[in-house]
Amino acid sequence: MADEIKLDISPMYEGERIRKDDLWVELGGPKADGFELSLATPMDQIEDGKVTVVGPDLGEMKEGTTMPFGMVFKVGGEKIEKDLESIIERRNHALLSYISGLMHLNQRYDIWMRIGKSLKKKGVTSWVQIFKPVIELYKAEMPFIEKMEITVYTDPAEVKKQLANAMEVYKTRDARAKGLHDEDVDVFYGCTLCQAFAPTSACVVTPDRPSLCGAITWFDGRAAAKVDPEGPQFPIPKGTAVDAVSGEYEAINEMAAKRSGGEYSRMLLYTFFDAPHTSCGCFETIGFYMPEVDGIGLADRDFKGATPNGLPFSTMAGQTGGGKQVVGFLGMGILYYFSPKFLQADGGWRRIVWMSKGLKERVKAGIDEDMMAKIATEDDAKDIAALKTFLLKVNHPVVEGVTRKVDNKKITEGWKLEDISDEIKEKVMAYIEKTGGDINIDTVKSELALTEGQFMQVVEALQADGVLE
Amino acid sequence: MATSKGSFSVEDMKNVQINIGAVVKEAEEWDQEMGPFPKPGVATLRDWDYKIMNRYKIMYAPADDTCTLCTFGPCDLTGDKKGACGIDQAGACGKIVLIACLMGCCAHAAHGRHLYHWCLDKFGDMKFDMGDEILVDSPLYQTIIGKKPKSLKDFDEGLAYLEEEVVQLVAATHTGQEGYFMDFESKALHTGMMDDLGMEICDLLQIVAYDMPRGAADAPLIEIGMGTLDQNKGVLIAYGHNLAAGAEAMIYAEKNNLWDKVDIGGVCCTAFDLTRITETGRDSIVPKNLGPKAKIAGAMGWWRKMVRAGVMDVVMVDEQCVYCDVLGDAQKRKIPVIATTDKIMLGLPDRTNDSVDQIVEDLVSFKMPGVAVLDPTKAGEIGIRVAIAVKPKRAEAKIQNLITEEQFKEDIKKCTTCNECAFVCPPHIRISDLIAEANKGNLEAFSSMYEICVGCGRCEQSCPQGIRILDLFEYANRQYIKNQKFKMRAGRGPARDTEIRAVGAPIVLGTIPGVIALVGCSNYPKGTKECYDIAKEFVDRGYIVVTSGCMAMDMSLYTDADGKTIWEQYGGAFDGRNICNTGSCVANANIMGAAIKVATIFAHRNHRANFDDIADYILNKVGACGIAWGAYSQKAASIATGCNRLGIPVVVQPHSVMYRRSFVGRTDKPEDWMTIDARDGKLQQVEPAPEAMLYIAETKEEAMLEMAKLCFRPSDNSIGRGIKLTHYCDISMKYFGKLPDDWHIFVRDVKDLPLVYKEDMMKTLESKFGWKIDWKAKKILSGPLRPADVSFDPTLISRKIRTKK
Repeated sequence: MADEIKLDISPMYEGERIRKDDLWVELGGPKADGFELSLATPMDQIEDGKVTVVGPDLGEMKEGTTMPFGMVFKVGGEKIEKDLESIIERRNHALLSYISGLMHLNQRYDIWMRIGKSLKKKGVTSWVQIFKPVIELYKAEMPFIEKMEITVYTDPAEVKKQLANAMEVYKTRDARAKGLHDEDVDVFYGCTLCQAFAPTSACVVTPDRPSLCGAITWFDGRAAAKVDPEGPQFPIPKGTAVDAVSGEYEAINEMAAKRSGGEYSRMLLYTFFDAPHTSCGCFETIGFYMPEVDGIGLADRDFKGATPNGLPFSTMAGQTGGGKQVVGFLGMGILYYFSPKFLQADGGWRRIVWMSKGLKERVKAGIDEDMMAKIATEDDAKDIAALKTFLLKVNHPVVEGVTRKVDNKKITEGWKLEDISDEIKEKVMAYIEKTGGDINIDTVKSELALTEGQFMQVVEALQADGVLE
Repeated sequence: MATSKGSFSVEDMKNVQINIGAVVKEAEEWDQEMGPFPKPGVATLRDWDYKIMNRYKIMYAPADDTCTLCTFGPCDLTGDKKGACGIDQAGACGKIVLIACLMGCCAHAAHGRHLYHWCLDKFGDMKFDMGDEILVDSPLYQTIIGKKPKSLKDFDEGLAYLEEEVVQLVAATHTGQEGYFMDFESKALHTGMMDDLGMEICDLLQIVAYDMPRGAADAPLIEIGMGTLDQNKGVLIAYGHNLAAGAEAMIYAEKNNLWDKVDIGGVCCTAFDLTRITETGRDSIVPKNLGPKAKIAGAMGWWRKMVRAGVMDVVMVDEQCVYCDVLGDAQKRKIPVIATTDKIMLGLPDRTNDSVDQIVEDLVSFKMPGVAVLDPTKAGEIGIRVAIAVKPKRAEAKIQNLITEEQFKEDIKKCTTCNECAFVCPPHIRISDLIAEANKGNLEAFSSMYEICVGCGRCEQSCPQGIRILDLFEYANRQYIKNQKFKMRAGRGPARDTEIRAVGAPIVLGTIPGVIALVGCSNYPKGTKECYDIAKEFVDRGYIVVTSGCMAMDMSLYTDADGKTIWEQYGGAFDGRNICNTGSCVANANIMGAAIKVATIFAHRNHRANFDDIADYILNKVGACGIAWGAYSQKAASIATGCNRLGIPVVVQPHSVMYRRSFVGRTDKPEDWMTIDARDGKLQQVEPAPEAMLYIAETKEEAMLEMAKLCFRPSDNSIGRGIKLTHYCDISMKYFGKLPDDWHIFVRDVKDLPLVYKEDMMKTLESKFGWKIDWKAKKILSGPLRPADVSFDPTLISRKIRTKK
């Protein structure tokens, strides 16, 4: 049995790179299989503190070896249940990285680890010496873990076998997370973590609406509230919806009033326009309403330029942050874009007219397929005029009016001319004269920059004037 | 005269413009109402100063216990004695502090005023535009003045305000004026704030006029070190802080295609500002991408070493931090000197109005050792032309000035080990030991001490044998000097608003444990390497590390195993595990500005004319700490004092006792730590966070430990406190082999405990400090000062107590 060795463990080693020259063993990564898995396990099936190595141990490895690697963490405790597995597993990256001489990248079946020569120098010969302190770290960070046992796989055939098992577990977990919606749960979670900076900020996290900072999903909220009942995340028994489409709940309104110190009395989950969610200051992306096209644009924090309304992310974020509720602007997390309830009261993706290119690429899997080509980016439109032209060309729903998916209700009328000027009338007359009355709606769009509805508005006005019959 | 809508000018009254409804217009352009303290006077923020001083007690360590400022004196102030005017020791100390801060503040402000006139002359009025990424474009100006400058001309108002305040402050130092030490200190804090404003104005003016990087995390990597100066060309050194003349020299070289004949290197902050000019050339009439063509020769601490190394052909001095004996040193080596501002004229004839040809001829023929030319354009042209023309003529002198092997051997034989030199050496180098080693044929000792030597030359003056000690250093380090070539990031200017927004959350969540600002001049206790060590320690730990000025230069002289400098090892963003160089000395304002921006951008505090509110926010919520490790000048004193007024604690190096005071909190006095909870106005005792405002550390290890501690804030949530405590304990373990004595006073909850030490700490809390612990639930039942409460809203200002709507 290998001796216990005092490893150098500190958060400062997170982000430590182990370069080729310092490499002892490489695990997983692009050249070998690798995985990590946490399993909620009944208490009586765990031998607390035990680390088992299946396959050759670390001391037998030559410098520069690449090998397959798997680790299975069995965790047990009164409060531990299946849904906590992925939360525990996600801490693996940080906690393993705290060890000086160990580099851990990626997660699940993608892990890529490097063990540095510095650990060899220290006298490390076994995985047991590395993973025993890992168990201690886990227990210190998550006191609800009462027992923990780790099995390390290094035998290639065994890694393959266990990896296949793990893939099944990931699949089941993902299916559950994806299949879980707001109507399936009785409790939402609130978060006031940002109140230290934004005193009136009060977040609601639901399965269909993850936090706008991107740091907390419903599962995280649930785990945190369970583990630390006095902490900044707390349950909100959802009760019945006042309006299921816009996501208005009495319980959320009460929470908002209480936690914002009376600043707000209503807060709706799936809309931009009526008492939207508060925006703290750390949102990953911002949505902004553009009245000129009656549509919504979306920009991420990394987008440097000006959006079509002339404002860059920073200006809009400046007007929206600090725990404020601002109609027409909304901070949103990346994960929300994958939600089926994404701005559903406002028409969801059918109302989205513009996205920064980076963001569009990043969330493309969440975008309704039929809308994909209809949403402009900075390549298509840099200002409102260009955006209008683009939307006309692609026949975007906002042009003729949006019918929202959730209840098939038509919620916008489409573009209308507020003022039918003589100039437009003349242009339309000229067009009608040129075409001899043979109207082609595509050329109306491209030559006159008018929608069919707007064109008809002008025709009607001309009729009223008696110019046309 | 055409005017914009809503304003008109009165005929026959030039420059008078009456704006109708100007206030309304302002309000529309700025969603913040005017705050309570636009253009605060000397006493306006005195309440806030007293809040700081009542918590952080002033401790004086007078270097002189007499007062000699008037002809009543010298007055003995020891014990309870008072001076003839009635002043006591504390008052006299406070007065000296105020005077020192005023010197520092004026140095920056006068620099700003000069640039203001110069930029308007050269470029005309320009739109003040910091780009789309920086909308809170003048955080200090807005916080102090309450207005947003729209063009360069608008900065005049800020400068005029500052100048008026400074006149009032200087007046208060006259005999028979202010006499009470705390009021001197309040005035010093006001001076520090004026300094912040002066630096910001100065940097913003040059950023816009010279199109310097506007918060570019990827500002170019530029060359630094004596070895970067191409000795095949004429080498012009621009030395000081004001880029005007140096920039003109660069423009002249560019327009006349002279870069193959001349190399320009900067010393001290002028170096930074030259390398920052014309990022893109967008609004500037200065040629594009000019900056990286200049090199950073080195920080001001390297000046005398550079002169002795013979790496320059002509030197142009501007202002601040220039050695007074620059002319004598240069003349001895036939290096012509051009003085370019009226701050430093060195007794040279003012030849501003003479013809360039004549001046060049006089300098190249060594007819005169130097000239003063106060027109930057003229001075720039002269600098370049002299550098090229004098180079061949200096060739012989250059060789003669470097000592030969023979001379070296002769000199080292003369040493009698009297050690007079070691007594006067600021870092106490045992020079006789180095010489003894050299006598044995080992030059290694001279090499390893080269960076420790601050180049002050006191040793040479004290040596009874007349040994040329600095020349010995030069001789022993010739190879190093030749190879002193490194890369560092050009000054990027302010933090972008988007960066502030991105780090806001991690700061709240604690994944970024704090903002560490390394600023200040040369004369580090144990050499330049300590700058690198300190920066590296914190950037590795995931702190946001910002730096500027000479400290940023000096930390660039070291590399890791891959040969990369700190700038090549890490990104340049305002983010955790990144290091950003804001730029020259005046770019320090961007660091204070970033703290303000956290409050205003991330947390939406109104900063407009609302200084104490913002400072209170920073003091209680923004884990930032400055360090001036080579705190040499009065400017460093005023910068530190400016940080303090803004609620940012500062650690200084041991020589800083020369500034005669510190601000240290008393952890044994609970009443000093009573804080208002803005939610309901209740008073709550908080842990001493931050514990000090101005802390003097004796070693870099002590400094780092203290800095980690000074990043604690009452508003830390458990994750944040846990991470901050981890680093505090970790640094203590790493350098002192034990946990700090006071870790427990920062613990409010089990969740605050560092993961690695958690189990042991809980045992200690129970056994040593008598805390009650529920071991099954792993909870602390009693013991902490107060519970962890994420919504706790600490403030020292009663008007921040929220009233229910």
